[in-house]
Amino acid sequence: MSAGLPKRILKEAERLQVDAPEGIQAIPSEEDIRYFDVSIQGPDGSPFEKGIFKLELWLPSSYPMEPPKVRFLTKIYHPNIDKLGRICLDILKDKWSPALQIRTVLLSIQALLSSPNPDDPLANDVAEHYKTDEQAAKAVSKEWTALYAESL
Amino acid sequence: MAGIKTPRNFRLLEELEKGEKGIGDGSISYGLSDSDDISMTNWNATIIGPGHSTHENRIYTLSVECQKEYPTKPPLLKFISKINLPFVNSANGEIDVNKFNTIKQWKDSYTIEKVLLDLRKEMAAPDNRKLPQPKEGEYF
Repeated sequence: MSAGLPKRILKEAERLQVDAPEGIQAIPSEEDIRYFDVSIQGPDGSPFEKGIFKLELWLPSSYPMEPPKVRFLTKIYHPNIDKLGRICLDILKDKWSPALQIRTVLLSIQALLSSPNPDDPLANDVAEHYKTDEQAAKAVSKEWTALYAESL
Repeated sequence: MAGIKTPRNFRLLEELEKGEKGIGDGSISYGLSDSDDISMTNWNATIIGPGHSTHENRIYTLSVECQKEYPTKPPLLKFISKINLPFVNSANGEIDVNKFNTIKQWKDSYTIEKVLLDLRKEMAAPDNRKLPQPKEGEYF
């Protein structure tokens, strides 16, 4: 299966296993090493604290010239993540650079959980909620974390 | 780069984005039945009947189901609006897998868009375009 797979992907996958960033797990699928089962722990001090969020990540054939594709599989109440788990993050779009890696992408997503950006929303209703009543909105995020992001 | 296949979910996200932008002249459209459905299984579609046929100006709605094995396996299609076509089950609107070539000879590069466009072509085909149709606005 790995025949013809760019060395870079193999290296990245390996390093993610042996030297995983804190609170992040990325396991390549057996059938497709370009596809990763990802889980990110909600950062401490955020409304997502104690949650384990599942994501899927896939490296298109043009990677690293193009960014990885990533989305949440766990429901999350966050202004930059929509109902289908799509993520609004500049480095996944126009700010992508081949110098970035899977690792940096996942760390950026983890950071996005700590600092939502309601001024560049993807989920408009959630962003509006965050802007008008941040305390109440965070309470909903916390509630959803308890409901959907099973912790260990 | 042969053999690199986009996994189901990312493939369906691409199709969804294309559908959200609108396809061509609007004679076909599709989207998720439930915008909350993270599995992206159930879709709704519409086809506007082609001109110079008994389907002219009619709006047909269909349900499209993309199962776990999509796009390796074709989607399941069903007309919701009543229609008379040789490959549509006249009792429940289901499309007969063996009578509709796009599904019968399915390739994983095919999309929901392609299926809908091919259905519309079939409606306008010489054998089908003059078939008597049920009253408009009836459903299976």
